Amino acid sequence: MSIATNVERLYDEHAQALFAFVLNILRHEADTRDVLQELFIKVARKPRLLEGVKDPRGFLLCLAHNQAIDLVRRRAARDRNREQVAAEASTIFADSDNPDEKVFAASLAEALGELPPDQRAVVHLKLWEKLTYEQIADTLDIPPNTAASRYRYAIDKLRERLRPIYDEIK
Amino acid sequence: MNSDFEKRMQELPMRGVPGHWKAQIVAAAQPQPSWWQEWLWPNPRAWAGLAVAWGIILLLSAATPGEPGATGRKASASWQSFAFLQKETEMIAQLSGTDEGRRTPPPPPAATQPRSSRRVKQAIG
Repeated sequence: MSIATNVERLYDEHAQALFAFVLNILRHEADTRDVLQELFIKVARKPRLLEGVKDPRGFLLCLAHNQAIDLVRRRAARDRNREQVAAEASTIFADSDNPDEKVFAASLAEALGELPPDQRAVVHLKLWEKLTYEQIADTLDIPPNTAASRYRYAIDKLRERLRPIYDEIK
Repeated sequence: MNSDFEKRMQELPMRGVPGHWKAQIVAAAQPQPSWWQEWLWPNPRAWAGLAVAWGIILLLSAATPGEPGATGRKASASWQSFAFLQKETEMIAQLSGTDEGRRTPPPPPAATQPRSSRRVKQAIG
């Protein structure tokens, strides 16, 4: 299989998951695109990276996470206020016709943006990638207990933050 | 076990990847040709043919035995033509009555004499 076909196949299979994950960490669409492009270029230049990998999705999420965190650090050094601005600029959820869902999605996106990127990454992988703590630990290169505790902290913060809206719409 | 709150969050659909990204990202991920591929790109066969022709020329040149003394012959030929020119100039000067061509001709280049005879001359002088 040629490199181009291989990259295209990987893109079709994993781009959506990688996009949502990286966008949730970075909250900035152009930066997300840069990370995805860099990731696929890396895979195309080193096709052996994925040889023998049992879980390509997990592996790609790991690469994407590392690149996204690098970018977060560079960005923090560059502009400390940009993340807050980005949180307002890029939402991670699809538009909805349901007004309740729309309000909840907007509030959740904002609340997620207030979490530290480490916690946000764990929440994303648990809720939207449906990974176990062990898989999250492998992906983020942290102990499973750390993954579990980060998730609990994050969910508690989100629940607290969204309680008024959630109580209203549930 | 996820709570209702977590389930509610899970049910929210994520945004899709912008459609135009695929073409851009896949194109960017294409392997870039190296500098020598770019250089050869317009007519790689023609360049390869030229390289082969040069290779053959070099091989033939290396395989053909060189003619010994060719350089020496060339040098002596040029000295002969210089001497001939000198005589011609002198003759013209005599005919025209000027003194221009009467200067003593320069000594022949040292390289044309064997080193041994030069040493003998120096010792005598």
